[in-house]
Amino acid sequence: MKKAAALVLSILFIGAALPAQKAGISVPLRFDHYYTLEQVYEALQALHKAYPGLTALEVVGRSDEGRPIYAMTVNNPKTGPALGKPGIYVDGNMHGNEIQGGEISLYLLDYLLGSYGRNDEVTQLVDKVCFYVVPVVNVDGRHHFFADANTSSSNRSLRIPTDDDRDGLVDEDFPDDIDGDGNICTMRIRDPFGAWKTDPEDPRLMVRIKPGEKGEWTILGEEGIDNDGDGRVNEDAEGYVDPNRNWGFDWAPPYVQSGSGEYPFSGTGVKALAEWIFARPNICIGWSFHNFGGMYLRGPSRKGLGEYPAQDVAVLDYIGRQAERIMPGYRYLISWKDLYTTYGDSIEWLTQTTGAYAYVPEVFQAVSESFRGASEKPQGGDASGEGMMAMLSSGVSERERLKFSDHLAQGELYKPWTPFKHPAYGAIEIGGWVKMSSRLGAPFTIKDLVHRNAMVVIFSAKHAPEVTLEVTEVKAVGRNLYRVRTRLANGKAIPTMSAVAQKIDLHPKDMLKISGAGAKVVAGGLLTDPYHDRVVNKRHRPEVQLLVVPGFGKIEHEFLVEGRGSVTFRYESRWAADVSKTVELK
Amino acid sequence: MTLHKTLRPVLIVLLAGLWLGQAASADLAFDRYRKPEELNAALRDLAKANPSVARVHSLAKSAGGRELVLLEIGPETARTAKSLPAVFVAANMEGTVPIAGEAALYLAKLVLEKAEARSDRTWYILPCGNPDAAARYFAKPLYRNARNARPHNDDQDDAVDEDGPDDLDGDGLITVMRVKDPEGEWMAVPGEPRIMKKADGSKGEKGVWKLYPEGLDNDGDGRYNEDGPGGVNLGTAFPHLFKYHAPDSGPWPGSEPETFALFQFFDAHREIGLTLVFGESNFCLTPPRGGRRGEADLNQIKIPANVAGFINADPDKTYTMAEVMELVRPLAPPGMELTESMIASFLGLGAVVNPLDEDLKFYKELSDKYKEFLKAAKLDAKRLDPAPDKDGSFELWSYYHLGLPSFSMDLWTLPEPPSEKKEDVLTPDQLEKMTNDEFIALGEEKIDAFLKAAGAPDSFKAKQVIAGLQGGMMNTKKMAEMMRQMPKPPSPEGADPKEKALLAWSDKELGGKGFVPWKPFKHPTLGEAEIGGAVPFADNTPPAAKIEGLLAGQVPWALEVAKKMARIRIADTAVKRLGTGVYEIKVWVENAGELPYPTAMGRRNMRIIPAVVTVAGPGVEIVEGRARSLVPAVQARGAQLVTWIVRAERPVKVEVKAETQNAWGDSRTIDLGGAK
Repeated sequence: MKKAAALVLSILFIGAALPAQKAGISVPLRFDHYYTLEQVYEALQALHKAYPGLTALEVVGRSDEGRPIYAMTVNNPKTGPALGKPGIYVDGNMHGNEIQGGEISLYLLDYLLGSYGRNDEVTQLVDKVCFYVVPVVNVDGRHHFFADANTSSSNRSLRIPTDDDRDGLVDEDFPDDIDGDGNICTMRIRDPFGAWKTDPEDPRLMVRIKPGEKGEWTILGEEGIDNDGDGRVNEDAEGYVDPNRNWGFDWAPPYVQSGSGEYPFSGTGVKALAEWIFARPNICIGWSFHNFGGMYLRGPSRKGLGEYPAQDVAVLDYIGRQAERIMPGYRYLISWKDLYTTYGDSIEWLTQTTGAYAYVPEVFQAVSESFRGASEKPQGGDASGEGMMAMLSSGVSERERLKFSDHLAQGELYKPWTPFKHPAYGAIEIGGWVKMSSRLGAPFTIKDLVHRNAMVVIFSAKHAPEVTLEVTEVKAVGRNLYRVRTRLANGKAIPTMSAVAQKIDLHPKDMLKISGAGAKVVAGGLLTDPYHDRVVNKRHRPEVQLLVVPGFGKIEHEFLVEGRGSVTFRYESRWAADVSKTVELK
Repeated sequence: MTLHKTLRPVLIVLLAGLWLGQAASADLAFDRYRKPEELNAALRDLAKANPSVARVHSLAKSAGGRELVLLEIGPETARTAKSLPAVFVAANMEGTVPIAGEAALYLAKLVLEKAEARSDRTWYILPCGNPDAAARYFAKPLYRNARNARPHNDDQDDAVDEDGPDDLDGDGLITVMRVKDPEGEWMAVPGEPRIMKKADGSKGEKGVWKLYPEGLDNDGDGRYNEDGPGGVNLGTAFPHLFKYHAPDSGPWPGSEPETFALFQFFDAHREIGLTLVFGESNFCLTPPRGGRRGEADLNQIKIPANVAGFINADPDKTYTMAEVMELVRPLAPPGMELTESMIASFLGLGAVVNPLDEDLKFYKELSDKYKEFLKAAKLDAKRLDPAPDKDGSFELWSYYHLGLPSFSMDLWTLPEPPSEKKEDVLTPDQLEKMTNDEFIALGEEKIDAFLKAAGAPDSFKAKQVIAGLQGGMMNTKKMAEMMRQMPKPPSPEGADPKEKALLAWSDKELGGKGFVPWKPFKHPTLGEAEIGGAVPFADNTPPAAKIEGLLAGQVPWALEVAKKMARIRIADTAVKRLGTGVYEIKVWVENAGELPYPTAMGRRNMRIIPAVVTVAGPGVEIVEGRARSLVPAVQARGAQLVTWIVRAERPVKVEVKAETQNAWGDSRTIDLGGAK
């Protein structure tokens, strides 16, 4: 691409797109349009300005092109510091083109903050947990997705120059917006030997010819020219290092899986984000919003990693099934099994490096733009896209989508075929789906999508572990000797440590510490049967017990304490809020 | 004898180097081991003394606040972007091999002294890859610990690094405690009571002792030294076969500034064409280890059912890579270049974990030459084998992920103790050179004896082996490979051969200082105990007086290996006039080196880009062929032909160029007017 021309074009494009909105972004935020990167930054500033007492806004790190990656923490300091509460992590827009995660993040923030003090459920939730929200991970990608001409699927990558065609030149043959309309559409050429003909149902579309039929068109591919004169078109575009294959767990080099980068965390922004997350051990669940297909994916990301322990699957299922109800049409699925294998993705890293539960929602379903009446069956015609795109489109045909564009977006989602004189191909036509389509719902549908997905996050946040401590018995059993029983209970679905983390000994368990100036713990341990007084004693240092409080469950301990006076039982957890109880031995 | 024309300039450079370019290498004596900061200071002195050809780079700071310093030597030190290939030398990545750092410094001195070794390449030399761990050799008490200073909670309790070893007997060493215990599994070796062995119940033996590392239960949890100081073993923190979740691995490969800096350095310095590690493995002697499970076998690919339908394959059959390529080719969009790597990635075949056969050829070839080299240096006495390569090591990362010829050298292991009746036994090297038939001809009796000596399980008999050889399931080459990986069988009385070797060395060369005699000690929690055993480092660190001789005899091999690097040149050109103003140009691109361009692994992982061959001249238009022709691989001493058809109004001179990132390049001017 000729850089200068592209720059001029992009400036014109932005200038044209944002005439009135420059007035500024104010709270409550609006969800009738997609936010440019600058607008996301402005929205975060506006939220922080409107709710300074509940929010902290910080720069996690900078991208490969130097743009700031922001995180907003929602926490009520009056109920304790953020690290003392369960942390709910949310990010979006890891792939540059999958922008909805940004809007979902902003909506979640706007909803939580706007409802605080007005809605009891939200108020109680915000007082108990903290939210860590990173609306745009791939800030370079979002910037270029809006600013440059793109397809709805281009510009996923990190901006790490990579020699895709291995010719010693780097990123030298981008798609080119040769007709200057801000979109990378499709080029076709009239060709009696082509594999496509005009769709008899809708002349704007093409269908594959059947054997024996005469062809009409050859599809030349995405809009562009052979910038480096190697006889190939658009073969070395931006990147490609996939930000969701660059994480440092189960990472594999690019010959095993393309796009993983030269080494784990070669993306400066991804590395900074990982370190930022790693420094917040209270994060118990994470959501990373992508598009598309209508799925809530959980790990494992690769079969060879083995299924998670049953206790963790139960937790993931509980939240995943509820998510399916909150967002009808979306399916709760296993990443490797139901979609494809990935190495070095973010949620597996989160699961296996921090011990948190994690999901990837793939938001937006093609069915929502299928233009079907309640009693109508799917119409004929070719599925939208090919390969994976076709699968994710779940059988919605191009004809149906085009009618949706005609009647609900007044034609804006599809560019009619337009003649163009191409330097190499000569007389061609350019047309097809525009950038802001296909994987991005029409703007009027944004609100429903962001609201429901934010409610999924809130449901999971309500199931962050909340532990109560009871001293159920203090009984004198001898001279200066007391039997003390405790119960730690958790009424929420998420336990205080994942079974994966326990299995791999990832981090210390929770602790129950007993202290008292005039008291000594002689013996103590897990009370497995209170009726028959069965105790599994911890031989060494019984005054510090290591434990996990299960989800929807309890764990009990029994101690023999020698001495007098007050004894304090203190429960400390990475995830749940700490609690303590003091009793008198008498 | 007349000198070949092309050799002349080389000779002139060589002589000039001896005459003028002799660099000052300070007064470096190799009669002691240097602390990490002393090594760094020595590098800075060398750079200061040789400002025109050497400079230092400070790569990172460790958790313990120590600097990772790299010395660069070569003609392009003033340039960031290099045109010449480079050799990267790393040393002491685990921080537990003091002689490795000395070897790197010795090499730096050699390279500075020998102008011809650096006239056409850059050397990057890192003498201490793990300074936090390396510093422990100079601290008290002495014990082996390869972990940097990042704190890590090994036992996942309420304290970090709280229960390390303690020097209870005050001798400055951490050795072993033995305590009599009814559950003890250990006993003294009969005939050598200083060495312990596990009692073998089947031979009527009974254990007496429990063994513990010397120390206290500092945190009162009933365990000894289970959470000592230190975090990540940088020697195993690289991404190939990285051991996730091991206590000394760190949270992810590259979590430490020391390793991450190297990732970045190699990414930025694509001119690096060869790596060498001074440490404990030795790829110069023994090729990288094979036989790991999980390798993608490209000759027996099973196609998953969901993909099979898509590419018209049979999920019950196995295919070769070539067959899969044929199945996929018609489905690929026109113009898309299919590669084995793409298919492997698409089918999820996973990572390569064993060295590729083609690469083993050059490893074997060089190993034979190195053995001759050692013989000439009189350093070929029998010694214990170098350590096998480790998962997550630098040397494996370099080969598998960077696709480079990766070499390593250990400088010293204990001499093999005098053998008892070992004359008859076949070594893996001998076995490998035999044909299957020659081996079978030894007869069952001899083969059984050989199997026993090699430590094969009792159930493994000559009959099976012969059947395996005849049935094609086994060959002498595979058997030799298996033998190399087999742990050494214990001596008849059950002593660990390494401990026996150490004891022999200690008695003969160290006046007994390599082994602490067992002495009673009253332990606060274990009661009556005895402390003694091998002195840390006695088995991998020779006395200082031996350093210089060992380095002088072995380190120069690094220069020999470097000479073998792939070197892309234009071997010949030809022009043919096809018609008015139309010419055919032929260019033979050769690899004048003795290593392939790139390694087979480098082709497989696609990290080493092809040689780019261009043709250009005033008014010259290419009719056929690519302006940038790509030559993906050239075998050692091999050549590849590149052709173009061009049109030119006049019979001008055109320039052809062959460029690579890490194997030099070449250019020639061709006169179209001279066409035949």
